Amino acid sequence: MDLLDNYKKAWENQPEHADKVSSIEIYKLAQSKSSSIVKWIFIIGILEFIFLNSIYFFVDMEDAMIEYKNLGLENFILYSQIATYIILFYFLWMFYQNYKKISTIESTKTLMTKILKTRKTVRNYVIFNLGYITLFMIVITIAKVNTNLNDFNNKQLLILIIVTIIATLLFLGVVWLFYQLLYGILLRKLNRNYKELAKLDNAK
Amino acid sequence: MQKDLEEKFLLDFEQNQNIAHKICRLYTTNQSAHNDLFQEITIQLWKNYPKFRGDSKFSTWMYRVALNTAISLYRKSTRTVKTQDISDFAYKIKATDYDDTEEIQLKALYKAIHKLNDIEKALIFLYLEDKPYKEISETLGISSVNARVKMNRAKEKLKNILNP
Repeated sequence: MDLLDNYKKAWENQPEHADKVSSIEIYKLAQSKSSSIVKWIFIIGILEFIFLNSIYFFVDMEDAMIEYKNLGLENFILYSQIATYIILFYFLWMFYQNYKKISTIESTKTLMTKILKTRKTVRNYVIFNLGYITLFMIVITIAKVNTNLNDFNNKQLLILIIVTIIATLLFLGVVWLFYQLLYGILLRKLNRNYKELAKLDNAK
Repeated sequence: MQKDLEEKFLLDFEQNQNIAHKICRLYTTNQSAHNDLFQEITIQLWKNYPKFRGDSKFSTWMYRVALNTAISLYRKSTRTVKTQDISDFAYKIKATDYDDTEEIQLKALYKAIHKLNDIEKALIFLYLEDKPYKEISETLGISSVNARVKMNRAKEKLKNILNP
């Protein structure tokens, strides 16, 4: 007889769990709050949307607008803002749709795929925002250089460009690192299991 | 949920709760984590019960939801792994008509399964529960052939842990 057969017999004969819960307890448990990973992804995702869109409230928009006008950028600001809002709503819609499709009655693999897809929607939105911020910084720098061309000597110009590049890269780096850490911790187990399952499905 | 559906759920779940307890015992290593996972499984079953059409057995459906919760939704277990051994806390076992060797074997079996990864745990669990390959492959979302291949590997791994 196979070694496992013995253990299987022991498994089949194992007694019922000692602390059985009554239907009243089950009812109470069912009403309690879920702390599932999906719920966390949803909460963090929403917070990211709010955070990325609330940055503007901390900037004095009137002052900024005057500055943009001086630089001749009011059209760029206006159209790019409209575009970012359209894109924001597209991402929010996709995020919600993907989130809603997550269901534990699917197979394990489908469930994992859907969870990761939902997370990727938020990730893509963050990438889009970082891209937009970079573009914004480049346009502002170029405009500044163009308008103040006569006030700067070559050395000052070079320093201005280098500082802008370094500041942008630093900002992007910090945001990206924070982001990787946040989701790295949250999804470590899920990613590992997904890889395991994917590996197993590819290995013939 | 409608009242009669709620009552039906509570009855179904109460009768089949041992499935959830076994999964909790496989995927967690201490009592508080066990209770946490059990709670999350209950929430997921409750939430999805209106979608359960009854074209399969309640237990079959429950295996899937409970395993999915343990593998993909539940997160806390990673922190408690390896800090406490299965034998460190009491799983009360009824003394009557219970063979001692089987009790020891069962403990060793749980201990060995704890060393497998989450997917292997699910495979071994479904094997121990006598599930056909068709059901195993449908639950995990992989092909029957792959379920078989991976099952054999998981069994080998388990045997090596049990009998090094």
